[in-house]
Amino acid sequence: MSTGTPMGGAAESQARADELVEETTKPTRLRGLSDWWNHLPRLSQWAFLLIAVAAAFALPLVNIPLLTTEPSNDWPLACAEMARYALVAVGLNVVVGQAGLLDLGYVGFFAVGAYVAALWTSPDSTLVHIPYLLTLPLAAMVTVVFGVLLGIPTLRLRGDYLAIVTLGFGEIIRLLATIIPALRGQQGFQEVGHPPGTNAEGNPIFSNSAGAPWYWLTITVIILVMIALGNLERSRVGRNWIALREDEDAAEIMGVPTFRYKLWAFGIGAALGGSAGAIAAGQIGFVNNQRFDVQMSVLFLVAVVLGGQGNKFGAILGGAIVAYIPLRFTGIAEFKYLIFGAVLVVLMIFRPQGLFGKRPHLLTFERRAHKRIANLANAPAVSTAPAGTTKEAGQ
Amino acid sequence: MALLEINNISVHYGRIQALHDISISVEEGEIVTLIGANGAGKTTTMRSLAGLLNLSSGSVTFEGEDISKLPGHKRVVRGISLTPEGRGIFPAMTVRENLEMGTYALKERSTVDESYDRVFELFPRLKEREAQSGGTLSGGEQQMLAIGRALMGRPKVLLLDEPSMGLAPQFIKQIFSIISQVNAQGMTVLLVEQNANQALSRADRAYVLETGRITRSGTGPELLADPAVKEAYLGVA
Repeated sequence: MSTGTPMGGAAESQARADELVEETTKPTRLRGLSDWWNHLPRLSQWAFLLIAVAAAFALPLVNIPLLTTEPSNDWPLACAEMARYALVAVGLNVVVGQAGLLDLGYVGFFAVGAYVAALWTSPDSTLVHIPYLLTLPLAAMVTVVFGVLLGIPTLRLRGDYLAIVTLGFGEIIRLLATIIPALRGQQGFQEVGHPPGTNAEGNPIFSNSAGAPWYWLTITVIILVMIALGNLERSRVGRNWIALREDEDAAEIMGVPTFRYKLWAFGIGAALGGSAGAIAAGQIGFVNNQRFDVQMSVLFLVAVVLGGQGNKFGAILGGAIVAYIPLRFTGIAEFKYLIFGAVLVVLMIFRPQGLFGKRPHLLTFERRAHKRIANLANAPAVSTAPAGTTKEAGQ
Repeated sequence: MALLEINNISVHYGRIQALHDISISVEEGEIVTLIGANGAGKTTTMRSLAGLLNLSSGSVTFEGEDISKLPGHKRVVRGISLTPEGRGIFPAMTVRENLEMGTYALKERSTVDESYDRVFELFPRLKEREAQSGGTLSGGEQQMLAIGRALMGRPKVLLLDEPSMGLAPQFIKQIFSIISQVNAQGMTVLLVEQNANQALSRADRAYVLETGRITRSGTGPELLADPAVKEAYLGVA
């Protein structure tokens, strides 16, 4: 490579364009989709998003044949569960996908959230009762505390070691629910609260058997969370998470207080898991110690990996799929996890990076970089650029 | 008083002792180099200086202040910047974003643009590849990026861990000439190298590290002429 000798303006820009084009046309599937998206003007992006959101809200109302989970499972209820898993996956994605911390005990936070909702709303609890909707932020706050308490001693560990400790945490929470008398073990809490409102017949809108309202509540939470996370990702915090995920030591020697940012990710992830738990408790109306096992944690992790680690849209899709497949195939109950497993294997063979894949680069400069690449690619010089002018750079 | 002083430090990995009572001093404006074979403890020394490893004993003082207990991210703010072995760039970030990470510890934000100019002047290649992701650069370009990134924060001392590792000869030459150039502009450099010939010929002073101990030290030319060093590290009988 010859940095000292200038190549001359034209040749240089040709070379640059060549390389940049090469860079964008790397053979990754779905790359076209993200390219297309990034080249859309802001206004069209908003229009598409609006349509997507409207479609998402309409989902429990349209019962598409073949896609539907009926007759085995009520479709709106299935939608509610899918949305819940999506919320969990979005939360876990912050921990696993953004900050690169492998958490195998995420169900612990989900459980804490569910118990918070139960303890403060169920008639079986002796605690002061508060309106159900207040338990969502309360669950988030309590789980942040749990997240920080777990994080402070454990986040100095890396990779596999952290995974083992978090696995232990999930189990501890489950066992505590069994051991502590106030948490009522298997007996659990009946009649967990729900948001206010009754329909024309005087029944509550948010009843345990009505999936649609819960679904709408959940995706509203998801949308708010996505907006907040989007902003966070574009800020310094998001950038530091990516640095952390890519190379923890390098991030530290750049001056990033890596421990603090890991704690941040852990806390935010915990809060979202807790909120999802509180929503689940409200919708099902019953919380006991039976549902929060390792299998759930693994399913959550599957959702994130399936969707594409580090991509929050992927997490939503992954979460929804992980919830959907068993519900769709309940009719052939013996085979539903076989089908589930087969689908996962096939997906991982053909798309190891997950459905959406990690964001190829940081968001901060994404649009700017794309514009630049586009401009260079459209420069007339490119078509006549002789091959090989750039290859001397390789070594 | 030396800018950076390492006093009798020992470092353990679990029960294995990697460094035995090492003392090194780096004066302001010097290039000091640390040579030695694989596993001698060169990288361990650098990582402990950057705050990525804990000392079991001894101390590190910087500008007369004990920084032994300071975590890595605070040492950067003080002005110690490491270019880690194997470069440690952020592959998913663009070249510009990588450089921007290098300004993280920079307090005077108004000088950021100046930092870019300086680094792009040293490495015009990086300017050309500004929008490209770091992972798609060639090995030599990644090394330039790693050095450039370390310089973005205007450190007082630059720790370079094996900058020539795995590079083609013409890149090695270029990297070394840039090290000299940066040093001529007043940057203090502590350089770890396997390429002893290049390192010694550019160094003011040098230390030889063998199985976690300093076995020799002297000026660059002295060690270049030392028969034992010649035989072990320069491949001359």
